[in-house]
Amino acid sequence: MSKSGSADLVYIIGDALRSLRENAGTTVLTSFTLAFSLAIFSLFIFVITNLNGVVEGWGEKTQLIVYVKDASVGQADSIRQALAAIPGVKSAEFVSKEKALAQLKEELKGHDGILDGVDANPLPASFEVRVREEFKQPEQIAGIAGSIKALDWAEEVQYSREWVEKLSAFIRFIQLAAVATGIFLGAATLFIISNTIRLGVYARKDEIEIMKLVGASDMYVKAPFVLEGLLQGLFGGLLAMFILALGRYAVLSEIPSYLRFAVEMPFSTALFLAFLTGAGMLMGVAGSLISMNRFLKV
Amino acid sequence: MIQMFHVSKSYEGGVPALVDVTLKIPKGEFLFITGPSGAGKSTLLKIMFGSEAPTEGQIILDGRNYVRIPSSELPALRRRIGFVFQDFKLLPNKTVFENVALSLKVMGVAPSDVKRRVARMLSYVKLQHRANFKPLSLSGGEQQRVAIARALVKDPAIILADEPTGNLDPSLSVQIIELFREVSSRGTTVVVATHDKMLIEKYGRRTVALEGGRLIG
Repeated sequence: MSKSGSADLVYIIGDALRSLRENAGTTVLTSFTLAFSLAIFSLFIFVITNLNGVVEGWGEKTQLIVYVKDASVGQADSIRQALAAIPGVKSAEFVSKEKALAQLKEELKGHDGILDGVDANPLPASFEVRVREEFKQPEQIAGIAGSIKALDWAEEVQYSREWVEKLSAFIRFIQLAAVATGIFLGAATLFIISNTIRLGVYARKDEIEIMKLVGASDMYVKAPFVLEGLLQGLFGGLLAMFILALGRYAVLSEIPSYLRFAVEMPFSTALFLAFLTGAGMLMGVAGSLISMNRFLKV
Repeated sequence: MIQMFHVSKSYEGGVPALVDVTLKIPKGEFLFITGPSGAGKSTLLKIMFGSEAPTEGQIILDGRNYVRIPSSELPALRRRIGFVFQDFKLLPNKTVFENVALSLKVMGVAPSDVKRRVARMLSYVKLQHRANFKPLSLSGGEQQRVAIARALVKDPAIILADEPTGNLDPSLSVQIIELFREVSSRGTTVVVATHDKMLIEKYGRRTVALEGGRLIG
């Protein structure tokens, strides 16, 4: 029916820009809501990702120390091969008597006097055995320790059974808590954002109705909302990034260095910015379109 | 030309709004629909406008059956019909000019044509001096004329007006009806719903009366 398609497009864009100016307050408010919600959710993702990395690092350190009888030290290579052949063993690193002493001296730095008078090296040679990822369960580690102990050159196998069990329970707890908190926080974020957008659309329901009544197509009515949703999402995403950077800068000097890892950026900045603005724009546009749908039926 | 055959409308849990209405309105006719409040006048107009679907019956506009109009075809229908609402339905944050221009812009009329036609229409309803005012700063009669200008500016085939004189004093009411009469004399079909008996008697046009959703004469 329209006499000129190009005039259509000019009006749609022109009206969308005008409505953006007229509703600048709502757009800014929604952008800020988006920004803070996204920032809080991102902070949570940061901390969880970083914490997970640390906990996995601890797991990485789970290892057995196998002390070698002094008489067998000469067979280090064949012992290493024997250890590597045990199912579940990832690697075995030889620590000679001399290296063990050097490590001890390093640890006792500043208290050198303690070792005065110790002439012969009293420390045994050992192997630090690392366990494969899929053998990290406490009962599996106990099994590996058992098979090593049965070898005749092994003086003693040391590992903290209690520590391994606690660590694996802790990792499970952290992961469960992260999933639960993530779902809760994600739902709250979506709820806040969709309500803010809905209020903005609701304030303009008369405008939507009147446009429809004078013969505007759905596209004509939707265009300003889509454009606003895109811009809100873009502003919101950029602002969230800014809030996160500022927040990190503010807390960095206040928290002890061993906790700083928690606010490190675990992803590439560009990727994260793309995610924030993308998620913001998606929520902005989808939220607007869903909210206005019922007002279009007049 | 509007034809309605055995049109009924009922709302869930309510009394029927329209019962078996059959009505033919030839092109260019000026028709009054009268009846007390709640008789079904507004429902009848809304069905003609495609904003409500009849529960039963057929409605044909220019040979096209519009009973279950798909929502994608509604804009095209509404560009051919000018509806004057009882509560005006003007956008309060837009000027008089912009309100009237809206019905041409949604049709994709070129900006220079929009300017010319809106200006002409505003002087036709004697509101050229109010072009840059916001609706809420105008009197009720002026707002009604803005609403009428918006309905007329697109040269519609049909004008539907729901109680267009409901809020106006008698002399203003006559002015408004005169406007419609003029439009009708140029070939536009005009349907006016009103409970104002004085107006109907003064103009002596074809009148149909509704009561309890039924046509009674």
